Amino acid sequence: MSMNIENVFIQLKINYSGVIVAVSGGKFAEKEFIIEESIYGICPFLEGILDVLPLKEPFFLEGMVVVSESKEYNVDLELLKNQESINVLIHNRTNVSKYVEQLNEKRKDFFFIKREIIEKNIELDRLRKIADKANEEKSRFLAIMSHEIRNSLNSILGYSEIISSEKLNKNLSEHLKNISLAGKNLKVIVNDVLDLSRIEAGKLELASELISLKEIMRNCKNDVQYLKINKEVNLIFELPKKIPKLILGDPVRINQILTNLISNAIKFTKKGSIKISLKIIYETANEVKIAFEVVDTGRGISKEQCLNVFEEYYQNKLNDSRIFKGAGLGLAIVNRLVKGMNGKVSVKSELGVGASFFVEIPFSKISTLKKHSKSALKNGEVTDLKHLKILVADDDLLNQKMLLHVLKKENATISLVNDGLEALSKIEQETFDLVLLDINMPNMTGEELMLNKKHFIEYNCNTPFLALTANTNPEDIERYLKLGFKEVIFKPYIIHDLLSKIKTILRV
Amino acid sequence: MITKKVIVVGDLGVGKTSLIKRFVLSEFSEDSFYKVAVRVSEKIVAYEDEIIKLIIWNVAGADGYEKIPKNYFLGASAAMIIFDLSRESTYLKIDDSIRIVKELSGFQELVVVGNKTDLLSKKELKNVKKKVSIGIDSFTNAKVGENVSDAFLKLIIQALRK
Repeated sequence: MSMNIENVFIQLKINYSGVIVAVSGGKFAEKEFIIEESIYGICPFLEGILDVLPLKEPFFLEGMVVVSESKEYNVDLELLKNQESINVLIHNRTNVSKYVEQLNEKRKDFFFIKREIIEKNIELDRLRKIADKANEEKSRFLAIMSHEIRNSLNSILGYSEIISSEKLNKNLSEHLKNISLAGKNLKVIVNDVLDLSRIEAGKLELASELISLKEIMRNCKNDVQYLKINKEVNLIFELPKKIPKLILGDPVRINQILTNLISNAIKFTKKGSIKISLKIIYETANEVKIAFEVVDTGRGISKEQCLNVFEEYYQNKLNDSRIFKGAGLGLAIVNRLVKGMNGKVSVKSELGVGASFFVEIPFSKISTLKKHSKSALKNGEVTDLKHLKILVADDDLLNQKMLLHVLKKENATISLVNDGLEALSKIEQETFDLVLLDINMPNMTGEELMLNKKHFIEYNCNTPFLALTANTNPEDIERYLKLGFKEVIFKPYIIHDLLSKIKTILRV
Repeated sequence: MITKKVIVVGDLGVGKTSLIKRFVLSEFSEDSFYKVAVRVSEKIVAYEDEIIKLIIWNVAGADGYEKIPKNYFLGASAAMIIFDLSRESTYLKIDDSIRIVKELSGFQELVVVGNKTDLLSKKELKNVKKKVSIGIDSFTNAKVGENVSDAFLKLIIQALRK
């Protein structure tokens, strides 16, 4: 039907019974409107209303449907009842109606989508609560397990260190080295798992302190030396001559990023070199963007593997985790940490030639020279522990014995107790030069003991208390320091580091 | 034979067309489509000694009941309001909807029908009954035809009273 005006309406005259008397204009669906036939056939909606139509008042019916030649038309009607007949004007608004219909369809779609979204949101909310709960459980489980593992690791690493200072034959020395290496690997894995779970839970807070890039590179060099046991691989550190002296950042995490990248390179490089370099991408008065590059001559990875290498638990070959140790978390942690610092990390590689990892991080620059943070302080001269009275409280017998051995070697006078309660009764009655307190102990924890300060203030008012703990959460550490601990020492600790810390504190 | 015009109203998707189709043609179609216009169906029924030609107007209430043209009710003898038992939004404000339809139609009473009993367990149905603030005349399931005749019978009885 063309859009001729004649075709969009029809005007009729019907009697009160609905019989068509005349067609007075228009051609819309004209075949359906036959004179002397009932209009109800095509307009069934008129049945039942003609009798009650008001006289001489136009009456409108909008949005009605008529069917002509198997097609449906949307029509509006205007009826005018006279004394003897009724004028009917039928107006086809199908085209208009089509748009309306389409709009209505869309609205209907929105209506259902909206309803679906509401339902899905409710479902998502429910699932999120379940997931949150599961995540909390996971974190709790990880915290407990890591605490237990760290405690045991402390004994393994500590005793290995003690034994290594004894005279040993070559075989035993080799075995001991292996135990120590396995312990250190396990320590890395436990730390990685914990770090990742902390990052996932959004609990990892990055520090913003004054750092020296030179110092970071130097520390990193020291840290990775023990990892490199292959003599055919050279570690090369390159620093540009001009780099900003001090910037704001998290030294521990930057060191971790570099160490993870280097340890990854060491794993996969059998021969050749690993070059660690630092470049300035740009520098303004307040900001500097630094690129760290770790380039190795190892086995390399394919383009596809490059895409996945920063994913958690990703190992390129099935055997990798067995041969190269680790849980495949190192690069995933690098990725998360770099992102947390608003930087980016990327990799380029060619199979059999090597791999290059690039990390770009923007740092704020500090123009005025301030004092280095505590962590940047160098250890003081080692003081002698001879005749110093040290109280050790730890419920773990192995850890107790290890500390006893180490401190006795330093000629200190040691008192050993098994829990916080026993420690309290000791410090209530005599003065110590130093107290080493485990945190998780039966009867009274290290924390609870510190809350009872008034009971031991008489004899140990100035005594430094050191917390020995496998809890490494920043919130925990903050709490321990607030309670009055002078320092927190994490298990597993290196005996040499522990002694250095003790000596520094006693000297201070 | 007498002719009675009746109006069926209800929110979008509550099952008006399905219910009418089930009553008029004894059919049910899963693919409902949505209307912008009024559709009219006819059915001849016998009640007591009367043969009645029912002209059933199917009016969508998606825009809000207050937007239904008052003219639609001219000559009507009764009206049915349908809600979806499985969708709270279609019955939580049903007393408002009923008030509007009563005002438009001038009817004292409407036949109130809760459709889609098949989507609810007995317990859920009980809960819905507690939530709906007005009396429900029929609980129907257009899919299998349950109580559909009963609902329309109530509508016919009301239509005959007028």
